[in-house]
Amino acid sequence: MNKRFGTIVLDTSFRFIIPFIMVYSVYVLIHGEDSPGGGFQAGALFGIVFVLSRLVQGEDCALKISGTKAIMLAGVGTAIYGFVGVLTLIFGGNFLQYGALPLNMHEPERHAMGILGIEIGVTLCVMATIIAIFDALTRREEM
Amino acid sequence: MSEILLLTFLLVLMVVTGITALFARDLLASIIMFSAFSFFAVLSYLSLRAPDVAFTEAVVGVVSTTFFIVALKRTDRGSSR
Repeated sequence: MNKRFGTIVLDTSFRFIIPFIMVYSVYVLIHGEDSPGGGFQAGALFGIVFVLSRLVQGEDCALKISGTKAIMLAGVGTAIYGFVGVLTLIFGGNFLQYGALPLNMHEPERHAMGILGIEIGVTLCVMATIIAIFDALTRREEM
Repeated sequence: MSEILLLTFLLVLMVVTGITALFARDLLASIIMFSAFSFFAVLSYLSLRAPDVAFTEAVVGVVSTTFFIVALKRTDRGSSR
């Protein structure tokens, strides 16, 4: 985990597979309402991307988010969730009542946009939490 | 009928892999057996037509297996003896 692991075969297959996992994760996030998936699954897939990068390429990997940055990112995700909820409060609805959002759309589409907003927050939070746990497990203890 | 047979087969496999994971002496073997248990759980959720739960279980199985192996690497010994 801290050292570089594997040969050029593993490294090259890692480089090939990462874009597909990322695109699939975004697909799962966007199509969360009408197909299996949603914020949690998309976030876990994105977390797997970073964990895999750290596992294969070691400490100086290409995709790197440190533990403190990951915890801050988890806070940002939770803040997005809360911000969408408070936004509906500001425009005169209840907490997370998506119908109150001021969008020029029909009611079901406004619901879909609101749910997409909170699921982006959930995705960020889950991704950052997985990275933070992995970083805490692999951190070197300074004696 | 064939669906019930398939589900029974998967549940028996889940019980077998679960008991093997509990009683394996080697901790790495225990982790791999837990991963197999998670995979059979995914297949049984799919046969019960719950793809959403199956997707979640598959993702969580991969992430937890990775975490367990990383935690095992940090300990000095690889078995429970």
